[in-house]
Amino acid sequence: MLQVKNVRKAFGDNQVLRGVDMEVRKGDIVVILGPSGSGKTTFLRCLNFLEQADSGTMDFDEVHTELKSASKAVISKVRKKTAFVFQNYNLFQNKTALQNVMEGLTVARKVPKLEALVKAKAALDKVGLSERYDYYPSQLSGGQQQRVGIARAIAVNPDVLLFDEPTSALDPELIGEVLAVMKKLAKEGATMIIVTHEMSFAQEAASKVIFMDGGVIVEQGSAKQIFTSPREERTIQFLRRVLRDYDYVI
Amino acid sequence: MQLNTQFMWETFLHVLQGIPVTLIIVLVTLLFSVPFGFSMAVSRSGEGKIGRKIITAYVSLIRGTPVVLQILFLYSLLPTVLNYLIKEMMGLPYNVFRISPIFYACAVFTLNTTAVLSEVFRSALSTVNRGQMEAALSIGMTAAQAYFRIIIPQALVAALPNMCNATVGLLKSTSLAFMMTVKDVTAIARIDASFGYDYLEAYLVIFAVYIVLCSAVQGAFYLTEHMAAAYKKPVAS
Repeated sequence: MLQVKNVRKAFGDNQVLRGVDMEVRKGDIVVILGPSGSGKTTFLRCLNFLEQADSGTMDFDEVHTELKSASKAVISKVRKKTAFVFQNYNLFQNKTALQNVMEGLTVARKVPKLEALVKAKAALDKVGLSERYDYYPSQLSGGQQQRVGIARAIAVNPDVLLFDEPTSALDPELIGEVLAVMKKLAKEGATMIIVTHEMSFAQEAASKVIFMDGGVIVEQGSAKQIFTSPREERTIQFLRRVLRDYDYVI
Repeated sequence: MQLNTQFMWETFLHVLQGIPVTLIIVLVTLLFSVPFGFSMAVSRSGEGKIGRKIITAYVSLIRGTPVVLQILFLYSLLPTVLNYLIKEMMGLPYNVFRISPIFYACAVFTLNTTAVLSEVFRSALSTVNRGQMEAALSIGMTAAQAYFRIIIPQALVAALPNMCNATVGLLKSTSLAFMMTVKDVTAIARIDASFGYDYLEAYLVIFAVYIVLCSAVQGAFYLTEHMAAAYKKPVAS
């Protein structure tokens, strides 16, 4: 369904992505792991043209494009097939939860208002926020805000959902509610690409795990394979470090 | 020393007639300065390099010179230029020297306030985080849609306190319009005072008038701010 090849991106002299390939099939839950600065967030942003890659190609169903020279029409098409969940939620502060979710329907996709309202409410219900339609982001907790962010993303019924560290800005006790929503979506067959540091979520939900470091994919495979029998030395080091952190008892 | 209270009362009544002039200058100036200032702020944060330089130069020029000087300069320059344009270039039989001085006052204050407001709006735009623009793009909105529906409404609310400052500043600077022979509050008081040399009394009267006017402006902005910023108010949940 989605295939990207040889994605490269530099910020000034800093070569962040050094040729990344990825293939995603319908229903895949791809989890991208890696230390900070490994380029995983940049890679995810390139998929949605929030960053413009320096080179690389994308095949997304019928769309074929160079990442660098994608036309506005192609970018708009790809953005309508994907949706992005941000680390800092990035909710529209001047809109209520319901309006946040409706915006992508009524404004970007010209869905009639009543239909959009039904869809938006359904999306908010799905993430467990039926009681919070008319709350502004500033009136919601971090976990609730991120669930609105997810509702905004699923309401437009995208082919692929992109998650950029969706739980990194949350208090530990709020992480669970967001991960629960993501697991639910995974079970329902959504296609998702997730950058995260939540190892237990990756082990449990991922159909494919990609380990990135230094702007390249070091290793990829099923969750079981990566977590129980990693082959590359860097993967082993990384997992040893994060899994040990994860086991901390205070 | 005794204040001439009879004179003060008469002057007060007389000065009231100048308030519409003062307010017209303020309103007309804002009517032009707000959209001009806003588009300057937007294009300054945009991509055009030459446009940005011109705007930066304009803002530094206006902010780096006293209002009094701007008034003196433009009041000497504008009528002559207009006269040349209308009479010499277009050959129209129109006497520009009969144009109301209020027109020139509005022109000077618009030039000045536009520069001030463009800075106000620039800082206000930067308070709306970049992430909301990205979020709008990510759900398929165009940059223009994101600007008009998400960024600008929030920037305007963020700009209100400083817009209030700018408006109060403008209202006070209109007192300089007497230099262009505009009969505003200050001019009327000065003329009245000059008959009997009652300057102290006249100035006391317009002190009060300006305090009331400025307070009214601040009150209006305060109310607007509270209504517009409803989305910032936390509710008990």
